[in-house]
Amino acid sequence: MIVEIIINHIPYLLDGLWVAIQLLVCLLAIGFVFGLLLALAEVYGHWTLRASGMAFERVFRGIPELVLILMCFYGVGNWYPIEPFPAAVLALGLRSTAYQSQIFRGVIQAVPKGQIAAARAIGMSGVQAVRYVVLPQALRQVPGPWSNEFSSELKATSLAYVIGVVELTRQGRYIISSTQGNILIVFAVVALMYFVVNWLGNRVLYRAERALEIPGLERRESD
Amino acid sequence: MSDFIAFATEHLPTILSALPITLGMWVLAIVIGAGLGLLLATGRLYGGRITYALATTYVEVFRGTPMLVQMFFIYFGLPEIGIVLDPFTAAVIAIGLNSAAYQAEYFRGAVRSIPQGQMVAARAIGMTRLQALRNVLLPQALRRVIPQWSNEAILELKYTSIAYAIGVSEMTSKAEQIGYKTFHFFEVFLLVAIVYVVLTGIVAQLLHVLERRTSIPGVNR
Amino acid sequence: MLLDVKDIHKKYGEIEVLKGVSLTLARGETKVIMGPSGTGKSTLLRCINRLSPPTSGEVFLDGELICDANINEMRQKVAFVFQDFNLFLHLSALDNVAMGPMRLKGMKRAEARELAMQELERVGMQTHAASYPAQLSGGQQQRVSIARALAMKPEVILFDEPTSALDPELTGEVVTVMQKLASDGITMLVVSHEIGFARRAADAIIFMEGGHVIEEGPPEQIIGAPRQDRTREFLNVIAEEGQIS
Repeated sequence: MIVEIIINHIPYLLDGLWVAIQLLVCLLAIGFVFGLLLALAEVYGHWTLRASGMAFERVFRGIPELVLILMCFYGVGNWYPIEPFPAAVLALGLRSTAYQSQIFRGVIQAVPKGQIAAARAIGMSGVQAVRYVVLPQALRQVPGPWSNEFSSELKATSLAYVIGVVELTRQGRYIISSTQGNILIVFAVVALMYFVVNWLGNRVLYRAERALEIPGLERRESD
Repeated sequence: MSDFIAFATEHLPTILSALPITLGMWVLAIVIGAGLGLLLATGRLYGGRITYALATTYVEVFRGTPMLVQMFFIYFGLPEIGIVLDPFTAAVIAIGLNSAAYQAEYFRGAVRSIPQGQMVAARAIGMTRLQALRNVLLPQALRRVIPQWSNEAILELKYTSIAYAIGVSEMTSKAEQIGYKTFHFFEVFLLVAIVYVVLTGIVAQLLHVLERRTSIPGVNR
Repeated sequence: MLLDVKDIHKKYGEIEVLKGVSLTLARGETKVIMGPSGTGKSTLLRCINRLSPPTSGEVFLDGELICDANINEMRQKVAFVFQDFNLFLHLSALDNVAMGPMRLKGMKRAEARELAMQELERVGMQTHAASYPAQLSGGQQQRVSIARALAMKPEVILFDEPTSALDPELTGEVVTVMQKLASDGITMLVVSHEIGFARRAADAIIFMEGGHVIEEGPPEQIIGAPRQDRTREFLNVIAEEGQIS
């Protein structure tokens, strides 16, 4: 009986999961691009850039995701009609920018100073040195710390529920109201879906981390 | 800008009136999380096969699924098997159980980072394993865990806002109510965001002081 | 003169490390700079290719002033070998050497690698072309870094204590390579205490102390009959430390 209900509703849950994954991919992409730019500005830019970057990180890491989502939804909505999905992408993308810039800053600063000196010494400009020497080394170190970020953002997508994005958690609620019950089992299946995606994502990142290792270099501790 | 300041002065007291609820949830959840987390960590470090498996499963499940789903499961789901909880209690339990999974990992990592010789030395003067754990390993591990634990505490403080989704009248809910009254949703959520930034800032500072007070002279973390 | 260094001063805050150093290097010449540590030898090299720009003074390469405006071009002509090698950690030995020609001289990858292979052969590292820096010994890394410098076809190579980060048993292979380069007619300015290398390969030894050049002369004169007491004392200290090879 319960099994039947679940099986019948799996397609809805998968729809919801697909929305959650789209949300996740968009917000991680935003966080990646802007996080990297912010980190570069902080490391190589004028001290005012560093200071404002740090302030940005601090503020956005201090605001609860849920409040940020509500704020972006209503905030942008004041000036421009915005759908829940892009509002959630914006909110979580900003948050992810704050976290990812911290990750990028860490790996960029971990590249030994002599590497830049050597690149400059053969005649590279600063930009060339960063592009051909620093980033290829720094980005290899990203998958480790990035798996934490991946997990926490995947879980944060569920909060888009509160502004009406029909993602996995909301699909679960819909099924519960339409079948008048089965709450435990539906949420258990929903939780299982998050769990599996999280597990798969972390496996992929672990593989990537291994594949990107530089031969002979001791693997740095990743947490 | 001056509009916002006027708005903030008018509504800040209402939002702050829910501060005790927010802080109450937070403190209770941390306590539950620390107690259960310590048990889980001990289970993973020193337990038999079954204890280890159970503790590990617990940690993986709670770390691998969203807090919101866990909260819904507890608040909406448990009544199906006769356990009815009020929103506040459900939120405290959810955040506490979730936090236990993370705290367990921090404790475990800290205990494992203590040199083997410490346990050997404790056993050598005649302590049992449990005595060694209690008198020698834990006092060192707990100090080491403080930096990570501080991060976790701040995360949990932010997590309390999720209790909004099951109707706990904490700060975010209060803000929403003001929003419905004034239709200044953005301003009110901005205001509550500022409150959280200040609050997490204060907590971070306090924990930083705790970290320095408890450090062992001459031992680097 | 190929390289003409004129009255270089370098101050770090209040402390003046270089107090007016001048030297010249003709094409094909090898000169070795010696002197007690903290005397500004490495700083001088870094001032020449502006890794740390001098406070005042000028450096000319083939009559052209090296300045901020042309520095990236000039550094392609004034190669630098570091004390601690600084090989690009994420690249194989071959790609370390090919990097410059490919990215800075616009060579095709295949062409750059072919050139890189030739330079690795020159330093005896061709069999390690596929190895990564972390898989190589210090001496091997330093030889690759010399090949990296050679691949830019520089006018002159500056060596900043190329053997001092190496275990004693590994200095020999690097010194041998450097001697070969000197006899091949590569123009080299070398900061080093390898007296054996200086005796066999240098056209002149420059003795520096306290931010000044104390004396300069052919190796046999400087080593055999230094004019300045300070030079003699310094050479005695080095001899006692058993660094004569």
